Amino acid sequence: MNNDIIQTFNLSKIYKLKGRKKEITALNNINISIRKNEIFGLLGPNGAGKTTLVQILTTLVQPTSGYATIDGFDIIKKPNKAKNRVALMLESDMLYYRITAYDNLKFFCKIYNIPNYQQKITEMAREFGLHKWLNQYVENFSSGMKMKLALLRTLLLNRDILFLDEPTLGLDVKSVNFIIQKIKDYNKTIFLTSHDMGVIEKLCDRIAFIDKGNILKIGTQEGLKRLMQTEINIEIEISKSKKELKSELDQYEFVKEIEETNKGFIISLIERNNYRNLFSILSNFPVRKIKEQELTLGDLFLKLI
Amino acid sequence: MKKFSKIKAIAKVDIKKNLTQIIALTEKNVKLNLRFKVNFIISLLTPIITIAMPLIIMNRFFPEIELIVYQFIAYKIFLMRGIITEFPVQLRFEKYWKTLPILMVGPFHRLNLLFGIFLSRILLILIPFSVLFIITFIQAPILITTVIFIIAIYFLIAIIFSGIGLIFGIFAVSRENFLQPLLFAFNILFWLSCLTYPYEIFPSFVQNFINLNPLYYIFDFLRFLWLENNVIITISTHFYHFSFLISLAIIIPLLGVYIFNIIYKKYGIVGY
Repeated sequence: MNNDIIQTFNLSKIYKLKGRKKEITALNNINISIRKNEIFGLLGPNGAGKTTLVQILTTLVQPTSGYATIDGFDIIKKPNKAKNRVALMLESDMLYYRITAYDNLKFFCKIYNIPNYQQKITEMAREFGLHKWLNQYVENFSSGMKMKLALLRTLLLNRDILFLDEPTLGLDVKSVNFIIQKIKDYNKTIFLTSHDMGVIEKLCDRIAFIDKGNILKIGTQEGLKRLMQTEINIEIEISKSKKELKSELDQYEFVKEIEETNKGFIISLIERNNYRNLFSILSNFPVRKIKEQELTLGDLFLKLI
Repeated sequence: MKKFSKIKAIAKVDIKKNLTQIIALTEKNVKLNLRFKVNFIISLLTPIITIAMPLIIMNRFFPEIELIVYQFIAYKIFLMRGIITEFPVQLRFEKYWKTLPILMVGPFHRLNLLFGIFLSRILLILIPFSVLFIITFIQAPILITTVIFIIAIYFLIAIIFSGIGLIFGIFAVSRENFLQPLLFAFNILFWLSCLTYPYEIFPSFVQNFINLNPLYYIFDFLRFLWLENNVIITISTHFYHFSFLISLAIIIPLLGVYIFNIIYKKYGIVGY
């Protein structure tokens, strides 16, 4: 049985810009599959095509070619069925500032036909720490509170698939951590886009890197790191004979680079296989500590883009 | 039989669901409009300026009662004209507030959007509309059947205005550059509808344009209904006006939804 709840098939979007003959390819033959209850992260620089992909998958924008399915429903042929499965949170909070928080939530609950919404609003507002603010105009909320309210609304709508486009944009660490925790607590299929590597790293089961409308790499965090980490960096601490060790290491071709630090060196090896050779050299020196530097998502991102 | 009851149950759920959505849209729009109450009240008083001049000038040429009926109907129509402008104003606000995408992703029919804005405007103008209606009634009393019929005609006019408003609304969302030309064209149509000035005072070349204006027949029918105070006679003598009104009340909202969907599908939300 196909467990993929979101699938795209050669999805492309081309924009014609005013005053320019050249067309801009926002998305180029995107093929991705997202499994049920998976948290899928889309990482890319500004203008990479992240928001366009979210807009197409939520039926807000029509693709130029290709198609996609949401829970088996074609977003072009059956947009209403597809829409019934999704809730959206774009990079702005998308709230009515001129009415109260409660009125905002009530309005969307009625549009999405949420039963017993009064009780649910009260319970979730308490959970999000917004219960004392429910009867206040949203215009009086801080950025963090607005984003919390937007996330509360998205979760309240009780949809299986959530599209969260930059849900932590411009928020402080405390608010970011709160939002990460809340997203984790609700067991939903989540399509998340963000610039924030930390958010993606903490949340996502699988990640795709997108740039200039192309998916560059897709996989689990560990898988991608393994795939990309052909060369490795070893951090060592040495009490004496620093000069001797450096001149010894300089003789070997598998050592790509040696960077001196206060306590020792960071040694870059051309391949992971050279680990053993390095160890046999180091055994002749008074090395106090050996540690492999882990590749972060940020390093991966910079390597790819 | 079993199948029929199943269909009936689904229809019942759908009606309830649609009604809930329409009420939600109405409530939200009313609250948004009442956020700045002074602005709102002033907007209701503005049409008085439009009818004040003809009331003063034409007092010498027309019987007073006839003139009051004429101008007070005009005021009520001006209040209802707000339905047309409410659509592009509301949707343009939503576009720049960025609430429109989440609304468009919402699982509801575009007709609900039409009825939501329509009902909210009706509720917002209800007090001044009723006051003027009662004053007109005191000045020129009519039969209760005529009252009911006139209210029904106002309702149909509001439906027509909603359809036109929805068309303007989608231009506010997708092709904002065309919105002002459309509103300008509509203002000309309104100006040539003899809403505040009678047909007779216009020169014949303007009268030729008025004859081509559908709004003129709709408003004229409303005035005939009040002044003749006999529904059957008015319908039979002005059947052309009446059938025109009914046809427009059916066609315009459906056309509005159709055009809204076509343009939205083609261009989406543009300009924010």
